[in-house]
Amino acid sequence: MSDYIVRFNLQQRVEHFLTMLTFAVLCLTGLPQKFYQADWAAGIVRVLGGIDSTRWIHRIAGLTLAVATIAHFTNGIRIMLSKRQYFSMVPTKKDFEDAILQLRYYLGMTEKHPQYDRYTYKEKFEYWGLVVGNVIMVATGFILFFPVQAASFIPGQFIPAAKVAHSNEGLMAFFVITIWHIFNAHLSPDVFPFDASIFTGKVSRERYVHEHPVELARLEGGLPPDVHGRKAGEVHGIERREVG
Amino acid sequence: MLRILTAVVLTIAAVPGRASIPAEQEDCLGCHTDPSMTFDLPSGEKLKLGIDQAAFAKSVHGEVLRCTECHTDKASDHATGQLKFKNRREVTRAYYEQCKGCHFANYTKTLDGVHYAVMAKGNDKAALCVDCHGAHDISRPGQPRTRISRMCSSCHEFEAEIYAKSVHGRAAESSGDVPVCTDCHRAHDTTDPRDGALAMRTPEICGRCHTDEKLMKRYGLSTKVVDTYLSDFHGMASTLQRGKKHAPGDRLAAVCTDCHGTHDIEKSKDPSSSVMSANLQKTCQKCHAGASASFPKAWLSHYEPTPQKAPIVWGVTFFYKLMIPFMVGGLILQIALHLWRVVVNR
Repeated sequence: MSDYIVRFNLQQRVEHFLTMLTFAVLCLTGLPQKFYQADWAAGIVRVLGGIDSTRWIHRIAGLTLAVATIAHFTNGIRIMLSKRQYFSMVPTKKDFEDAILQLRYYLGMTEKHPQYDRYTYKEKFEYWGLVVGNVIMVATGFILFFPVQAASFIPGQFIPAAKVAHSNEGLMAFFVITIWHIFNAHLSPDVFPFDASIFTGKVSRERYVHEHPVELARLEGGLPPDVHGRKAGEVHGIERREVG
Repeated sequence: MLRILTAVVLTIAAVPGRASIPAEQEDCLGCHTDPSMTFDLPSGEKLKLGIDQAAFAKSVHGEVLRCTECHTDKASDHATGQLKFKNRREVTRAYYEQCKGCHFANYTKTLDGVHYAVMAKGNDKAALCVDCHGAHDISRPGQPRTRISRMCSSCHEFEAEIYAKSVHGRAAESSGDVPVCTDCHRAHDTTDPRDGALAMRTPEICGRCHTDEKLMKRYGLSTKVVDTYLSDFHGMASTLQRGKKHAPGDRLAAVCTDCHGTHDIEKSKDPSSSVMSANLQKTCQKCHAGASASFPKAWLSHYEPTPQKAPIVWGVTFFYKLMIPFMVGGLILQIALHLWRVVVNR
């Protein structure tokens, strides 16, 4: 029995790395455009060579993210059609039960901790937040990139609305990442100072016992069948390429 | 009786002593009041040597300056028939430097002005102090204000004619509310309008009047025009482009004047206005080639997004106003609970 579990395959690690990089660039070039009247915003824009080059950097990073998002979806659809794997990111009834149990645990109302499968409700929430956020950002971003073309098939008022959505959704994403993701991946006492699994792909078996006992059991002992009714061997035996 | 006498004495004292201006103390006016006295310059121009004493006495300097305070090189015995000047412009240029002796602040400002810049490049016609203010007949500038625009128009005739027909120009004769040339272009450090620097300042320039509640109320105009502009796409870009000069191939964000015009600004409801709704598509197309009929609706016409004026924009704004605090608050709360449990477990 190996002492670590391979939690993320190479494709997932590359996707995370690319998202992290583009997200940072997009925040760096996008937030100064939202808070353009602040001194720090003007300072960043100046360092980046003015608003025009700042925008071009933003657009290129945005296009990269758009391509990555489309590739992710394409991959998901391909897997869905091949029916070889289950979607471990799909929210289930268990996630809602887990969330309630987890909160009760935090509040000290119970000593029972949720037994998590491959992805916890927190991870699924962040994943779907990113998916929905990406779709909104890419769609509104393109409207703002090509306002003239956009206005030829949607009402003109959608353009300022897209600007409001783009700028607020972006700010919200920035908050979610800087508060929630940084906490869970760095500051949380469980992983402090740095959960490197998304870069190395590996998580120690010891941690897995605590964090994903249901998946571990399925991986190692053919126990119990997952929520989709399939046995572990059918799902994990051949290759591990869950979406997400 | 005493009171009447005092009043009479004070009245007499208040009347400017026209007969006793300092200029008379030097005997210059003994010769230089003859209007027919001229000097033939090498250029063929005639230089007038006589001044209008009454006009000088009435001028702002009449009661202050003696002749030699500006004409410093003139002693009493100078009628040699020789002058070092080749033409009238040289005379003007020679005496232009005299103003800075007293008016140093304004002189320094002119060094940043477009007139000085083009003069330094060799344009002999560029305006000097006396071209705008006059020489012996200098009076307080801006009295009346329309005199300023008239004065500029003696060189800038083409612009003046357009301005005179605009919403500002038409009202200038009867109202002090509207801008004259120098209100936007400045007087001494007149900005070069060609490199875009002046345009980038228009939100501030136009905003000086158009955000003045009292002034705008008189005309039933909104004072939100600058704020609504700044919160939109163009306003954001122009704010970040502030101070930038127009380089070839560079496109600066639209400012007030790009849509409303400059000297030809018209009421937005006037059929000839570039921002009248029927003309808006064409105005947008100046920058946004191929803009469709629905494209101008992307601009909220200086209205704040309200449920009536822009329901979609308002709705999206409202959604995020609730969503962001809800989301961030929820996540922080969960982190706090998590940490709380960690502490309790210890």
